Amino acid sequence: MTRFTAFALAALVSLCAAAPPAAAAELNLFAWSEYVPQSVLDGFTRETGIEVNQESYASNEEMLAKLLSGAASYDLIQPSEYIVEALIEEKRLLKLEHARIPKLKNIGKEYWGQAHDPKLEYSVPYMQGTVGIVVNVQKVKEPVTGYADVFQEKHRGRLVILDDPLEIVTWALATQGLGPEQVTKANLEKVRPVLARWLPLVKVYDSDSPKTPLLNGDVDLGIVWSGEAAIVLQEEPKKFRYVLPKEGAHMFIDSLAIPTGAANVAAAYAFIDYVLRPEVSRKISEDFPYTNPNVEARKLLTPAERANEASYPAGKPRLQTFRNIGPVAADVDKLITDLKAQSGS
Amino acid sequence: MTRVSRLFAGWTGLVMLFFYLPIAILVLFSFNESRLNVAWTGFTFEWYAALLRDRVLVRALENSLIVASATTVASVLLGTAGAWLLHRYRYAGGGLLETLIFLPMIVPEVILGVSLLILFVAIGLQLGYATIVISHVTFCAPFVMAAVQARLAGLDPALEEAALDLGATPPEAFRRVTVPYLMPAIVAGALMSFTLSLDELIVTYFTASARTRTLPLEIFGRVKKGLDPSLNAISTVFVVFTVFAVFSAEALRRRNP
Amino acid sequence: MPQAALGVAAGTTGRGRAPGRSGWLLLTPLVAWALAFVVAPALIMLVYSFAQRGTLGGVVYDFTLENYRDVADPVYLGIVIRSLGYAALTTAICLLAGYPVAYAIGRASERSRNLLLMAVMVPFWTSFLIRTYAWVTILNAEGLLNSLLMQLQLVAEPLGLLYTPGAVVLGLVYTFLPFMILPIYTSVEKLDGALIEAALDLGAGPLRAFARVILPLTSPGIAAGVLLVFVPALGIYAVNDILGGGRVDMIGNIIENQFKGNARNWPFGAALGTTLLVGFAAVYAYVNRRQRLAVVR
Repeated sequence: MTRFTAFALAALVSLCAAAPPAAAAELNLFAWSEYVPQSVLDGFTRETGIEVNQESYASNEEMLAKLLSGAASYDLIQPSEYIVEALIEEKRLLKLEHARIPKLKNIGKEYWGQAHDPKLEYSVPYMQGTVGIVVNVQKVKEPVTGYADVFQEKHRGRLVILDDPLEIVTWALATQGLGPEQVTKANLEKVRPVLARWLPLVKVYDSDSPKTPLLNGDVDLGIVWSGEAAIVLQEEPKKFRYVLPKEGAHMFIDSLAIPTGAANVAAAYAFIDYVLRPEVSRKISEDFPYTNPNVEARKLLTPAERANEASYPAGKPRLQTFRNIGPVAADVDKLITDLKAQSGS
Repeated sequence: MTRVSRLFAGWTGLVMLFFYLPIAILVLFSFNESRLNVAWTGFTFEWYAALLRDRVLVRALENSLIVASATTVASVLLGTAGAWLLHRYRYAGGGLLETLIFLPMIVPEVILGVSLLILFVAIGLQLGYATIVISHVTFCAPFVMAAVQARLAGLDPALEEAALDLGATPPEAFRRVTVPYLMPAIVAGALMSFTLSLDELIVTYFTASARTRTLPLEIFGRVKKGLDPSLNAISTVFVVFTVFAVFSAEALRRRNP
Repeated sequence: MPQAALGVAAGTTGRGRAPGRSGWLLLTPLVAWALAFVVAPALIMLVYSFAQRGTLGGVVYDFTLENYRDVADPVYLGIVIRSLGYAALTTAICLLAGYPVAYAIGRASERSRNLLLMAVMVPFWTSFLIRTYAWVTILNAEGLLNSLLMQLQLVAEPLGLLYTPGAVVLGLVYTFLPFMILPIYTSVEKLDGALIEAALDLGAGPLRAFARVILPLTSPGIAAGVLLVFVPALGIYAVNDILGGGRVDMIGNIIENQFKGNARNWPFGAALGTTLLVGFAAVYAYVNRRQRLAVVR
């Protein structure tokens, strides 16, 4: 090789090594529609120069549909705990290097050791919540402690519940002493009579905005997401209370995860670490009053936010996370459709 | 007949009232103090001010306008061409083609969305304006076609023949005789197409990219957070702007016929 | 022109002459479009309907007929019938309520016509969700209507208007009325005033003039309006979800659930969709054929 060629090659190699990153860095975020405030995204972009392209979804399954199609490559997604479990099983998530997320230590101890991702190897908790009972105490004078109290004949036509078959089924299972990990065909048949009694009492099924009929006075009781309940309590603190059912309540954990095939992994890690900062996480809580898993951020909350019993329930309630139930999900859907049709109009 | 006409006119007034009642609420609540669109608490302009800061929402509106306009143009071309060609000529398989064009009207939006998404991925078409417009046109074009077909059903073929006899070429006859005759149907079809595209949600979810999010996607995304009055504000702004634009266009047209 | 008046509305094919080369050339873009964006996606769905459910959604390509067996399940049959019922009722109300409006606009002066059409459409350029929630605001227990009625002392307790089948029908009629008015308008607009006057001069009362002259001449518009309301109404999911309190599940909701809900059962959704598609295509083709035969005769 001539000296000139060697020199040219060396120059080329050094040029490549010194070359700046190809294009402006970006992050493709696929998140729940209500979860990431624009101010957080703007702050992240200002600091790191990384543009955030955000798409949003209203259900885990919507997210999966677009994720699996391969139409776009996402760098970050926000699955709920039982979807994280399914994604891990299907080897769809990148294993996380905790060294790249120094602020992971801000996550509370109770979020480690959960069934879906015990060592947080694939997901980082973003927001946690519960599914519980909202009671209009001006209309319902007697104490309400659980599902059985809600689904009584005297409350016929005064109930709003989530339009989520899996949720509804697990509530019925809970009254029979069964947990969310026991959703099987046999158990579904077991709770069918319970649900057949319950569903005709419901006036509204709403997973998007159950706060509306509660605030409108169309219903007196509801089994809703804690974030919705927190908004209701914020609006009318004297009129409503939030109660976690004694038979057992769903604790959902929505986490950030990096799907395999993500193009901007570094940006994804940067974002995860960014939202784990207490002052950033606190901004998220401000907009969406779910339970913040970041214990450092909790210290920055206002007393009023901390006192909201829907966001931060007192006591030691019985909380259970959902598990990946596989093909039984189709049977769950059919059961509720059937009973809804029979009880409805 | 005038008594009946007056009756019909009166009924039209009632129907218009019916149409505009929720709109009146919508506009009213855009000035509502409460963040939740539930009860009236007081008057404020803050939500209109919030619009100025809400780049995301405004961009979504721009995207919706771009998509709806492109969809309308394409649907009018496709629908009118389809209706006229199928009316004028007897094609082998013409009935099949007609049924095919109408098919997307019956296909549930989620299925249309998913299957078009799979198709786009298969042929390597990146999600963006093109994919959204294509998916919108598939179910808007039938509306134009139906409107134009209804109008064509009463078209006297003698009209076009007369034009040809008088020395017009077929394209000229089409342009100067058929199109003006079809204009009310084309306008009706365009209005329907624009309206449908503007409010389309599910199909758009599957065929849009992050940068091309439309207004319905943005608004539906905010349901859980609470439909704050800035959404009412942007709806109001858009309607006022469009009505103003159309009135101006009409006024200009009258001045230069 | 009585044959034209018989309204070969939902299908005017077969009346024309043989297409020459230019006729086929002009049709090519349409054929290409139909193949690419109607046939191809429909085929994808057809394939999916014979596949099996994937764990995360999507499909696993193992051939099965079980999805179609599930479609025949009485649970879903009942919902299909309910959907047909609501769609039919909505169409009927839209026709009765919309025809006079279309007539009034079509017979209006040229100046007002386009503006009136715009006036009809403008409300629907606002967000569907906000519009529908505005109805919630009007109809709910503490809402405008009930407040008004209570103030006027017409009722003692608020009426349960919301979250009922009635509210759903109201919402459906509200959504679809413009799509009945506009097509009928296109037929009314070209009505020759002279024809109507002639009928009246010859001694027909307004009712007879309407039934014998106006109605037949506007029947293409009516047929188009029925098509453009009934068919999309079969697929609705959002209006009934919000105004019916999620209790009035229609076929659109069931299919949506398979893709966007817990079920993650795409093949079943595809099977339901394919069944709807085939059903529609069959009915449409049948009606088309009868119309064409009628004209030929």
